[in-house]
Order: sequence, then C-alpha cells, then structure tokens
Amino acid sequence: MAGRFPNVATLLVVAALVVMPFVMHTTLATQIVIFATGTLSVTLLLGAVGLLSFGQGLFLGLGAYTCAILLRDHQAGPLTGLVVAMLAGAALALALGALIVRRRGVYFVMLTLAFAQMGYFAMLAFKGVTGGENGLTGLPRTFRVLGLPIESPLSFYVLTTVAFLIVFLLVQRLTASPLGSVLAAIRENEGRSEALGYPVVRYKLAAFTAAGAIAGLAGGLHAVFLGFVPPSDIELEMSQRLLIMAIIGGVGSPAGAFAGSVFYTLVSEALSEIWARWLALIALLLIAIVLFLPGGLWSIGRLVAGRWGGRAGHG
Amino acid sequence: MIERRRFLTSATAAAAVLAAPPLIRRANAQSVLDIAAVYSLSGTFANVGSALNDGSKWAVEAYGSAGGNKLNYVLLDDRGDAGEAVRKVQEVMTQHGIKHVVGCTNSAIGLAVQKEVHARGGIYVNEAGADEITGKDCNRSSFRWPVACYSAVNSTVRPLIDKFPQAKRWYTITGQYVFGDSLLSNCKQVFQEKGIQHVGNSYHSLSDREYSGYIATALSAAPDVLAVCNFGNQTVDVIRQAVSYGMKRNTKILAVWSTGLDQYQALGPENCDGVYFGCNFWHGVDSPGGRRVAEIVKQKTGDVPNYLHACGYAVAQVLIEGINKAGSTDVPKIIGALEGLSYEGPTGTETVRPQDHQVLKDYYLMLGKAKGAMKDKNDFADVVAATKAFLPPDKTGCTMG
Repeated sequence: MAGRFPNVATLLVVAALVVMPFVMHTTLATQIVIFATGTLSVTLLLGAVGLLSFGQGLFLGLGAYTCAILLRDHQAGPLTGLVVAMLAGAALALALGALIVRRRGVYFVMLTLAFAQMGYFAMLAFKGVTGGENGLTGLPRTFRVLGLPIESPLSFYVLTTVAFLIVFLLVQRLTASPLGSVLAAIRENEGRSEALGYPVVRYKLAAFTAAGAIAGLAGGLHAVFLGFVPPSDIELEMSQRLLIMAIIGGVGSPAGAFAGSVFYTLVSEALSEIWARWLALIALLLIAIVLFLPGGLWSIGRLVAGRWGGRAGHG
Repeated sequence: MIERRRFLTSATAAAAVLAAPPLIRRANAQSVLDIAAVYSLSGTFANVGSALNDGSKWAVEAYGSAGGNKLNYVLLDDRGDAGEAVRKVQEVMTQHGIKHVVGCTNSAIGLAVQKEVHARGGIYVNEAGADEITGKDCNRSSFRWPVACYSAVNSTVRPLIDKFPQAKRWYTITGQYVFGDSLLSNCKQVFQEKGIQHVGNSYHSLSDREYSGYIATALSAAPDVLAVCNFGNQTVDVIRQAVSYGMKRNTKILAVWSTGLDQYQALGPENCDGVYFGCNFWHGVDSPGGRRVAEIVKQKTGDVPNYLHACGYAVAQVLIEGINKAGSTDVPKIIGALEGLSYEGPTGTETVRPQDHQVLKDYYLMLGKAKGAMKDKNDFADVVAATKAFLPPDKTGCTMG
C-alpha cells in the first residue's frame, strides 16, 4: 500500500474527474464522486489496516442527517454542514471504535454490522428528527461557498470533487507515510506489531475514527447534493454497497475506491434497465473479481504495468 | 448557351424549390414534449412499478399528442430508492429541461419527488396514497389521482364497522413508512369515533418479508378484525400468512389498500375468499373512461386492466387532459387548467379539486369470493360499496406552499 505520493494513480484519478462531467450526466458523475468518498473510508480500513467494517453506512447516514439538519434548521452554510458532518462521523466512530477495535476477525465484523442495524432502527425510532422512512426533506437547494454560487449540477460536481480530492490526497499521503507503514504492519501481523511496542489499539482506533470522518463527509455531500436525505443512506444496504465498491475497485490503493464507485454506479445504472434483479448480476461480478482479480479493478493497471516492466498504475 | 446570370438564378430557384418541402415540413412539424415518468423497475416494489409504468406509457402512446405537441415518454428508473428518484428528476429537469413529470411507486418516493419538481418549477401528477401528498406537504405543482389514506380508510373501515357492529376488537399490521402510518392514524380516528377497541398494532419495515411473528402476536390479541395497513407485495404476504395461520376462521381480514386484480391473482381465490379489500379501481365497474382503458389494455395484454395499469394510465391522463385544456405546455397554465377540471377517467367522471389538487373519485370496498362463485377467471371479488369519502379541503392542512 505504501508508495510515493503523488503518483500515477493521483494523475489518473484527477484526469478522470476532469473528464467525467463531459462524458456522462453531471448528476451521475456527482453521485459517483460521493460514493467514491464513502468507499474511501472502507478502503482505508480494509486496505491500510485490515479492518473489515460492515458499518460505514452508519457514519455516512449520520453525516447526511447532521449536515441536513444544520442546513435546514440552523441555516448553516454547506462548508459548516460538511465539517460538522465529518466531526459527527469521527466522534461516533471514536466512541464505537473504543468498544470494538479490540475485537478481532469475525467479532469485529459482527459488531460493525450490529451497530449499522442499530443506526437504521434509531433512524426509524426518531422519525421526528430524521423523517423516518420518508427521509429528511426541505433542505435548501442553492448555496454560496466562498462567495461562489452553488446552484447548477456542475457547481455541485465541482464542490463534491474538491472535497473528494482533498480526502483522496490525504488518504494517499497517510498510506505513504510512516503512519501508513505502521498500519500496514498491523494489517500483516498484529501480534508482532504489538510485540514491537506499537500501541496497536490506538492505531486501529485512529484509522477507524478517520474512516468514520470520511464516511460522514460523504453523507454530508449526499445531503447537500440531493437537497434531501433518503433513508437508504443509513440502511445496511449502504454499508454493503460501499464494501462491494471497495472490493470491486481494489483495496490496495485509494484509487481503487474511485474505480469501484465508477464501475458499480455505471454498471448498476445499465443493468437495472435490463433486468429487475440486477443485484444478482452485481453479485456475479463480485464473485468473478474476488476469484480471478483479487486485487480489484485497480490492480489491472498494475498487472499491465508489471507485464510491460513499467510502474504505471502503481497505487 | 445559357447565360451565367440566368444559370445562377435558375439554380438558386431550383435549390429553393427542392429545399422548400423539408423547410415547410419543419415549420409544420409538431414540437416534441417530453413527459418523464418516475417508477421503480427494480427493488422491493419492482412488480408494482413495472405495471404502473406500462399504464403511463400506454396512455402517452394512446393520446400521442397534447396541446399540439407530440408526446415522448421518458422513463426514470429509481430502483426503489427515493434518493435515486430525486437525482434522476434533478438530472432531467436541469439538464434536459423536462418540466412535466408523472408517477411514483410508493409514497416516500412521491413525497420526495413532489418537493423536487415543485422546487424546480415543474408539474407532477402522482399516485401516492399518503395523506401528506395533498395535506401538509401539498404544493401548487402537484396533483394526485388515487384517493388519500383518509378516503381509503373511511371507505372501507367505516362500512365494515356498520356491517358488523359486533366486531369491536380490531388489530392492525402496519408498514412503517409514510403510507402505512397514514392508514394507521386514520384507522385510529375512526376507531375512536365508532367506539372500536384497537387491541394492538404491529409495525413492519419496508424490507420485511416474513410476518409470522406479527401474525402470532395479532392472534394472541384475539381480534374480531385484522386491518392490514401496508402496500404492494407486503399486503399479499401478510394476507397469505394470516390465512395460512387460520386467522380467517375467527377473524375478518381487511386490506385497507389493495391493488386489486393483480393481488387477487397472486393470492388465488382460496386466500381471497371472505377477505375484504379496499381498491381504487375495478375493471367490472362500467364507465366510458373505464372502457377506454380496457380497450387499450386489451390491445396490449389481451386481458382486463388491473389497478396498476389504470393508475399508471390515470396520472398520465390527468396531465395530458390539463395540457389539452390549457392548449399550452406552460406549467402555470396547465395548473390553472387542471384546477376544477372534470373528465372521463378510469372510474367514471373524475374532478380535480382546486384547493388541494386531489382527484375526486370512487374508492371501492370489495369482498373476495370463493372459486365456485367466480363467473370468469378475473371475477375474484364483488364491489360491496363505492364511496367518495374525502376530507373537506379546510381539514386537509394543505396550504399550497
């Protein structure tokens, strides 16, 4: 995972972000970038430190509701909303992480799953705040950020892309840093890392908190973009979707999150018009990728680069 | 030898003559009006969305044009996700300039799309059932064809209470979404008014498929009537599981909101027999508008129309009738034309109430019949009552915000 920063992956992702609104609907491109941000939280956890979380949808949902309530009820600006959404995601992840990062393997996975389910039912229980199954409506649709109007689909895309790029570069920087090397060591052999004197729990908690913040940001972006928080933002299916995107894209590089989001969103868009049970086809694709391309789609670039003896695609 | 000037004049004239027909054709050509339809072709309610989509598409095809414009049907598949519905509506309204929108597969989607279309200056005709649609969340841009939950409950629960005055203990199983909650709160009001004992309620979520726990709880409360307050396949599953638990023996079952024929077909006469259903449309009710829908559906499927076909047809019909009356595609003119409009709809003469944009029409209480009593393969139920029970406009909470 550790490597140089910025690298070829950085350039490829930036190039794709520039091209996307010209080759597809801007709202679709925005959705891809938002889900790529959410998927980054899974990639950071699974790729950098080896923690498989089924609960990132919980932090995304919390970020969405927090941001939406600030925008609608407290007339906050989008930047304030997004920052607080990140902080809310981080705070919840810190609190839950303190309880669960000591657990390993399947126990950690099941605890994240349980908390994700609790989040969904809390959303239903507090429907006076969240809107319940109807979602949270009535958000403003026009904003000003640093004096610039955010009204058109393109302006929302630019806002979303800037937020994604900042997080993407931070995650790249983190994984390429000495801290990233420690996280990788924990991922490879937690016991030995502990024996070497690293406070493993603190490192895992820090990664879990950072991932919560990133997911919270994705939720906030979704709320700002839609002018609405759909209940699906906090459903278990959202956690699954982020995980599937991460695995499809490949968790070996932050760019895999972007590749996974692009692939999943475009393929689901195309397949859903062909067959109502399109998720079954996504499942088949996931099986094929796990079996035949365990490094995910992003590893194709690395394979090609390896075959040609170059370093292109290195994440 | 032809002179150069004469040649140029002749050539120019010839070119003009040759070019004229397409130019004239273009001048006379109808402009195209895109109508976007928001339906779930996958997800929990895919079967409902698919049939509704057929109905709307067939209506657009049958009318062909409106207000002098050729109609073009643009399907937006929301995959059962309100967020996806909002995104796709944003996409077509901001990037394609579409202002005319119909359809929704459930009330949560209808509510979200209703706000989006209004915020972007469009017009939206939908088939959501929740009271909020023409109640506190109503707006100038939105119209609703089916009855509200208030009407569904007052057209089914009330007649059933009158028919069985001894049945005092009612239990409800409710979908925990806006539509289910609306049905439940209206039921509670009628129970209170009529002195009915509400012995319990079980909520299920949108994703539930298995209801035996809820039914066991209902059985233990020993109700006289089980009222099912949900929608789509979930209604079918609750009824099927309640019947398989033997609930029909001692308890009357009422599905306050059913989609009629397609659900009766899914249940079969063995499950329908003796069960009461509320329904917005029944093919057996004869009317000029109903016959027109029947002809179109007969051409397409070779069979009679079900509620979903009729409902999908109706929302497109309301919009097209409005455009025709306005003689324009301008949204404020269509809204003005629709307010107070009467037309021949699938259930007979239907009227758009100006105060809350609710279409006033009959709602049916139906009783499922035994297989031996069916006159043909679609004769699953009899109409027990046809009622227009609408909340007075000043009680709806609609302020046209």
